[in-house]
Amino acid sequence: MMSEEGRYGQYGGSYIPEILYTSQQQLLKSYREAMQDEQFLQSVKKELQQFSGRPTPLTHCANLSRELGGAQIHLKREDLNHSGAHKMNNVIAQGLLAKRMGKTRVIAETGAGQHGFATALVAARLGLECTVYMGAEDIERQYPNVFWMKQLGATVVPVTTGSATLKDALDEALRDWSANYSDTYYLIGTSCGCAPYPEMVAGFQSVIGLECKEQALAQFNAQPDRIYACVGGGSNACGIFLPYVGSGTELIGVEAGGIGDEPGQHAKRFHTSQARFGIAQGFSTRFLQDESGQLLPTHSISAGLDYVGVSPILADLESRGEIRMTSANDAEVIDAFRRLTLHEGVIPALESSHAVAAALREAPDMRPDQHLVINLSGRGDKDIFNIAKALGDTAFNDFLTHYLKQDA
Amino acid sequence: MNALTDFIHSKRKTGKRLLMTHVVFGYPSIEKSLEMMHLLLDSGVELLEVQFPFSDPVADGPAITSACHHALAHKPTLQRCIAELQALSEQYPDSRILLMSYLNPLLQFGFERLAELGNGIISGIIIPDLPVEHDALLAPLANSSITPIWLLTPDTPDSRLEQVVRKADGMIYCVSRKGVTGQQSNGMSGLDSYLLRVKALTDLPLGVGFGIQGADDIRSLPESAAIAIIGSGLLNAYNSGGLDRLQSLLTELQNA
Repeated sequence: MMSEEGRYGQYGGSYIPEILYTSQQQLLKSYREAMQDEQFLQSVKKELQQFSGRPTPLTHCANLSRELGGAQIHLKREDLNHSGAHKMNNVIAQGLLAKRMGKTRVIAETGAGQHGFATALVAARLGLECTVYMGAEDIERQYPNVFWMKQLGATVVPVTTGSATLKDALDEALRDWSANYSDTYYLIGTSCGCAPYPEMVAGFQSVIGLECKEQALAQFNAQPDRIYACVGGGSNACGIFLPYVGSGTELIGVEAGGIGDEPGQHAKRFHTSQARFGIAQGFSTRFLQDESGQLLPTHSISAGLDYVGVSPILADLESRGEIRMTSANDAEVIDAFRRLTLHEGVIPALESSHAVAAALREAPDMRPDQHLVINLSGRGDKDIFNIAKALGDTAFNDFLTHYLKQDA
Repeated sequence: MNALTDFIHSKRKTGKRLLMTHVVFGYPSIEKSLEMMHLLLDSGVELLEVQFPFSDPVADGPAITSACHHALAHKPTLQRCIAELQALSEQYPDSRILLMSYLNPLLQFGFERLAELGNGIISGIIIPDLPVEHDALLAPLANSSITPIWLLTPDTPDSRLEQVVRKADGMIYCVSRKGVTGQQSNGMSGLDSYLLRVKALTDLPLGVGFGIQGADDIRSLPESAAIAIIGSGLLNAYNSGGLDRLQSLLTELQNA
């Protein structure tokens, strides 16, 4: 599926400043070598089990399945990874690769903060210096993650340029890498960027789909008819989808529908005339852009889906009809969040709630003997402030007022 | 011989090192960026590098990145930019204009269209996020005056150096150090062996950029550097003291 140059159909490739050529080549070589090294693969597996708690369970949602009267709904519980999200799968592996390459410092971009948080955890464990670039606007939305990154010894650098969100954090991380590549490893959190990052991140995340295959067989003696995953950059979707491509399971990616269809109101890279083929941030994919090719601002209730491009792997799969892309808007997402929390006792991240929303929307049209799996990419604890606000919980405001008074 | 190469060689023969000065089109406004260009060209800079802004300029440091974002607020179009450059090229026939931008705005505009509209106006194009192996994208420029300018860095391995030099024409842009534009350098004196390595493979004129802030940097450039490229330094001067400060820095650079 991928060519030598890291292309997926017309997408992917490497479009980086010349100064990064040598370090990118070094990364490519080291990654290929590591993947042939049984000892490296075993150390990744061991950390996934003993540090992150894999395998994560596949949980049947009996109440929602019954209530909707359609397909049996299951959750692939990536929220139960250490750090509370699937991000850990990739960070453990890339952290070990950085160490294997003899790097002493890792840098990362982060949107919701989950990838930065996971990177800070692994850096602490592996004894690596860690700098995380995060959009100033995202820092405001996700301070709890910032707090934890700092406690873990990471330096969190607010990025104020441009739209001050994930894409700008990615630009800034690339700039850091350009200056410091001799000792620094750029630990990309999603399956985007120049080769080999899309392949590498998707590959490391594929543990999700591989586990799901075994668990589905063990728990309902079949493979799911459909799998839903939210799509920001696309790493959790790649992770659960890739082992299923061409298998007969329908794969559905769910984007952030935001608050409307105007530019800057959503983060949909599919089914909108605002997104088309472009080359930026080191790779080619479908980018939200204006007529002049300037990347557009995005909006989502969840910082983690607020990205202007999308994995070249998903862009290619979609163009070949291997996956179906849909979206869920902010209101549907909050509703889905409430239903899963209330009926199943699982608190999803707002990112993952997009996948929940699309699945709950479509489940009633399926038969009760069919199965769907939602990739529950992260847990909702980190979103407590945003969710409390979205739900209009005034007692939460009282608590905060009281808390601040106590502090003073 | 390539017209840009010819121009650089003839200037270099009669005088000293050439200056390539940089302006972001549209910063702080389209009119004011044109004022800057006029000032530079009136003062006789040989090469004017005009950056058409992009939202995500990954090879640029804070000064140019911020200028690009401000410029974008004025919704500049490449079409307007080329029209303005045409006027400048006619008014200043003794200088040459190079366009710099990132790949996406150029790609969306179309290289066929760029070749057609920019022919005879733009002498070279610098695209920092286009690696040389993707040069086929620039095929439409082949029969125009717009020469693709490729970049080399001190860390470029020999095999790649040869690959880049084989494709190169016009001039070669030698990045002086790691990092992005506008960061401090440890001086220019350590560039000798790097530039000689390039010089051994080509007769094309070499320009050195990234980290040139003032006259001292220019004075310490090796003889093999035919062109001193200065961007963020001039931008910082303008930001701190407008056209006056820009003029005085330029005079210092020209007298270096």
